Amino acid sequence: MMPTTTDEQRILLKGNHAVSYGVMRARPQVIPIYPITPQTPIVEKITDLVLDGSFDTDIMTAESEHSAMSAAITASLTGVRVFTASASQGVFLMHEMFHYASGARVPIVMAIVNRTLGSPWGFWPDQTDSLAQRDTGWMHIYTESGQESLDTVIQAYKVAEQVSLPAFVCHEAFYVSHALEPVIVPSQAAVDEFLPPFDPSHRLDPVRKESWGNVINQEMFYRHRKDMSADMDRVPDLFTAVDAEYKEKFGRGYGILERYGADDPEILLVGFGSMVGTMREAVDVMLAEGLKVGLLKVRLFRPFPIAELREAVAGVPKLAVMERNYSPGLGGVLHQELKAALYGMKDQPLMHGYLSGVGGMNVSVERIEELTRKALAEDPVPESVWV
Amino acid sequence: MNGNKELVPTHWTTGWTTVLDTGTWRSTLPVHTWRPAPCFVNCPLGNDIPMWIGLAADEAFHEAWLALVDNNPLPAVIGRVCHHPCQTDCNRKVLEGAVGINSLEQYLGDMALEEGWSFPAAPEGSGKRVAIVGGGPAGLSAAYQLRRRGLEVTIYEAQPELGGVLRYGIPEYRLPKAVLNKEIQRILALGVSVKTFSPVADSAALAALRDEYEAVFVAIGAGRAKMLGHLEEAGALSGHDFLRTLAVCETAPDLGQRVVVVGGGSAAMDVARSSRRLGRTVSLVVLEERDAMLAQEEEVADAIEEGAALFNGAMIDTVEKAADGHLVLRCVRVKLDPDAPPGEFCPIRQQGGDFTLEADSLVVAIGQDPDFSVLGDQVETAGGLVKVDGGLAAGPDIYAGGDVATMDRYVSVAIGDGKKAALSIAAALGVGDDEAPKEYTLAEAVTPEEVNTYYFPEVEPTERDKSPVEERLSDFRESRLGLAFSQAAQEAARCMSCGTCIECDNCFVFCSDMAVAKEPDSELHYSVLKQYCKGCGLCAVECPRGCIIMIQETE
Amino acid sequence: MTVSSRKKNYEIPEEHVFLSGHNACPGCGQALAIRYVLNTMGPNTISTVPPSCAAIISGPQPLSSMMLPVYQTTLESSAASAAGIRRALNRMGKTDVNVLSIAGDGGTYDIGFQALSGAAERNEDLVYVCLDNEGYMNTGAQKSGASPHLVQTATTPGGKPTQKKNIAEIMAAHGIPYVATASTGFPDDLARKVAKARDMRGTGMRFIVALTPCLPGWGVKEDQGIAIARLATDTGLWPLYEVEYGTKYTINRGPQGIPVREYYKLQKRYSHLTEEQVEELQAEMEYSWQLLKARSECIPERGLAAGPAQSG
Repeated sequence: MMPTTTDEQRILLKGNHAVSYGVMRARPQVIPIYPITPQTPIVEKITDLVLDGSFDTDIMTAESEHSAMSAAITASLTGVRVFTASASQGVFLMHEMFHYASGARVPIVMAIVNRTLGSPWGFWPDQTDSLAQRDTGWMHIYTESGQESLDTVIQAYKVAEQVSLPAFVCHEAFYVSHALEPVIVPSQAAVDEFLPPFDPSHRLDPVRKESWGNVINQEMFYRHRKDMSADMDRVPDLFTAVDAEYKEKFGRGYGILERYGADDPEILLVGFGSMVGTMREAVDVMLAEGLKVGLLKVRLFRPFPIAELREAVAGVPKLAVMERNYSPGLGGVLHQELKAALYGMKDQPLMHGYLSGVGGMNVSVERIEELTRKALAEDPVPESVWV
Repeated sequence: MNGNKELVPTHWTTGWTTVLDTGTWRSTLPVHTWRPAPCFVNCPLGNDIPMWIGLAADEAFHEAWLALVDNNPLPAVIGRVCHHPCQTDCNRKVLEGAVGINSLEQYLGDMALEEGWSFPAAPEGSGKRVAIVGGGPAGLSAAYQLRRRGLEVTIYEAQPELGGVLRYGIPEYRLPKAVLNKEIQRILALGVSVKTFSPVADSAALAALRDEYEAVFVAIGAGRAKMLGHLEEAGALSGHDFLRTLAVCETAPDLGQRVVVVGGGSAAMDVARSSRRLGRTVSLVVLEERDAMLAQEEEVADAIEEGAALFNGAMIDTVEKAADGHLVLRCVRVKLDPDAPPGEFCPIRQQGGDFTLEADSLVVAIGQDPDFSVLGDQVETAGGLVKVDGGLAAGPDIYAGGDVATMDRYVSVAIGDGKKAALSIAAALGVGDDEAPKEYTLAEAVTPEEVNTYYFPEVEPTERDKSPVEERLSDFRESRLGLAFSQAAQEAARCMSCGTCIECDNCFVFCSDMAVAKEPDSELHYSVLKQYCKGCGLCAVECPRGCIIMIQETE
Repeated sequence: MTVSSRKKNYEIPEEHVFLSGHNACPGCGQALAIRYVLNTMGPNTISTVPPSCAAIISGPQPLSSMMLPVYQTTLESSAASAAGIRRALNRMGKTDVNVLSIAGDGGTYDIGFQALSGAAERNEDLVYVCLDNEGYMNTGAQKSGASPHLVQTATTPGGKPTQKKNIAEIMAAHGIPYVATASTGFPDDLARKVAKARDMRGTGMRFIVALTPCLPGWGVKEDQGIAIARLATDTGLWPLYEVEYGTKYTINRGPQGIPVREYYKLQKRYSHLTEEQVEELQAEMEYSWQLLKARSECIPERGLAAGPAQSG
């Protein structure tokens, strides 16, 4: 078995494996792993890359996701770049440690392969698993392709290490994770130029002797959260800049939001993840039919880029949010958050929210067209609607 | 908050808890303290026993001996004849038994004689001169203590040789003359003047001494034997005379085969055991019960082991002379009146149990009184003793100690008195800056409950061997052997050093706040860091020897 | 382990890592154990501490009572967190730095057990010291898997119906290079074992469980912490022993002939025991001791040079 080239290459990769290659280029030193469908190929490919000599890193085969995240936090605090991946139940088991990680201000980048949550059991694309972590202080980026996932992993490290906050790079089960596509893997040298070595100002080090995590009082706690808030607020601009820099160097950029379709649409379809890919097709079809439609891809979900979103939908009369998640008692997460983000806008768009892909239900181009027409025809209601 | 604008970082520590004062938590504070051990309290010589045993246990024998002779110049003697009150309340008795302090003192005393150790030379004299009347243990002790403080000392001794009761009262098999002579010689080598064959004749002679010398110490002992009238008439000899003859002539008066000894003290035992060594048949007639006898229990046991017959609770009622001249002693049973004044024996005759003893001679050893005739009006007397104050002063320049001034008729008390008088004299004459040693009571001493017995695994006590009875009786060789080195080492290791810190570090080891600091240059060896000590008291409990007391701090 | 009354009873070399001014209760057994663990591991160490009395003892932000980097973990994560530190250090080339985990019994026997077992299976190269005070003492003396049979706790007021987990044997069964029991009653033995574990850096997982009495939690007088710890061992309830690679047993100190009742009668948490229960516990102790001795004698020795390989 020969190591893979460090030069730029173009290879056919499944979405998960694209992540593995992106991780390899980012050079994390410690990777705690635990298997769970459909994330396992990410970490298995990484172990193969280690075995064949392509990737020099330390794999820790943790005995649970909770332990994997626990080890990731301390490895990062000790001063090395860290990566891990999980999905669904594994993500939930890590939940406690997600809060812990952001409180520790460690720039971990983690891949989440969005999968339905139990109970009952299912293995289908649904983003409720990562969205249920939206209060944990991690950045969220939702990608629609393997290439984008690879590129986002690298970008995410650069942003995370500047704001000292961790990041989820999320792509959906099977639609992205197992879809095969030609992927450009940048050269190691180019990535090294783009992403300098991790060098935190505080770390666990016997020479420095500083300890982390002693009990604090209310005033310190307030300030700690406020400091997190200040750094979260820097992320939209910073991510935009990093993405622009990446585009200039590697030729591929995605922004934190993407508008596509008519400049002056009657309605914007809003979504994230793989459904956006289908929306693109549907928009093309509808444009060809003369409908003035467009789409708004939400790539950066946390921090929720309120200012940028308001700007992106300014002047648009209607929005139709279509999503693959459901928060019981609330509705669609993107729908409800977007609605809140737009509150008080002059000429605030009317918004529909459709629970179209919950549980991995297939959402076809035709279906999207159907929902678009439905949205144009009907008055919106505040609740997210099961369709 | 005050006007400090620096905000405390919310994570990553920047300093240490050593700035915090956890001492405010406590209500009691441990204090490292020297405390008197019961052996020290009981010792009439004020010997710092834990200290010198500690040195011996560390095999610093010379230093141990120097510590010992600070208070007692006659350790080889004391190690043989002392009644060892130090051992009575030794805290080790709650484990396997008291430490053999007396045997260890003998060990060091004998080692010093073997090694030829001498006392440090006396300093340049102050020119002050002191006369000591009586060269027995009290006089010798005073001479030593005065001479080593630079005073000029002259001993006036009536007898041909120094030693007093040590030579003329205690037989060879208990205290070999060779040992006694060497220890006396060592004192004299400091530069003590001696005039033997020089009794102070009378009151005028004593007065003349008082004029000639800056101070006089009277230590003439109690040389007049008590006697019972009806027995004296029957020709009884005093124990005092018997023993003196033995010492001087190296043999006893010829008393015939059957010797009956009256008395329950050490002298009576000495008479009985000496007679046994001379092949006599010996009976002891003693007023008091066995456990009330004034002799040391070991001496009584030895007397019986050596074949003396012991009759407790008995007295000789009448003496008849038989046809061939031997004595027929009609004896009756008695009980001592428990309400008799202290020091007085009041026998109450009991019905029945009369018995008869056949004797060739009678020796009466029932105690002795001082002879005040030589003292005249130079001193006051009371209750058969010279009257002295707490510093043993009987007058402005005259002091008295030993058997002449106390009813505690023990060699160790005499030696202690000699030291006490010497310190008083030195102070009165403005020599040196000794403080009068503080005296303690048993109530102040370390108790067995304050000793942490966990640290003292069981070790059987080692006693000095006695030679077999037949050997003992064959002549006047020393009947009890001293400890061998390994025995002495083991016995010294049993001393728990009550109240005297030996730097075992337990307090330091067990403090979870690291509030006990080692202070190598301090006498107390440790200090407590008041900023941190929370007053839990673990150090006091884990101190094996009660050297830490917890004191209540103010509210 | 002999004690001489003439010389120092304990010879314990110490570095200066654990500091005064910490918040432990007066006479706290854990604080004493922490002193010897840290001062023996030395300053070239990084440690983890979970929620526990040890976490409170480590100091309030921004102050620390420990002159080395300490990371406060969540209660389940001690061993996993320590593993993360070790792996990062190794990747940074700092293989000479010791990694230490100090955890209570709750974070070891119960909620922390999974992480501990996983770390042991991977033979992570770290020293894990469990300070066992037989319950969740920091939160008010509730029962844990380490609480002994029939003991009274806040959540088993009638007496715990189940046995104390034998964590030493469980860890020995993982075959890790070093397992030992220790006690604050024998601080030199504890320090010796920590030193031995420390010096085995590079061989894998080293686990020490030290009995550290909690005086308020056990209902024991403030100044009796050491006496009670000694009694636990001398009655046979907490024998001191070592197991290397799960096969080589060394028993350091077993029962000294003192009946278990002497231990129970000094603690309020056992004041409810009936005579029958005391006898039952005495019999249980004796059987456990027989079992330990038998196990220590019956296992055939294997070559110790090849231990389990380290992963990663």
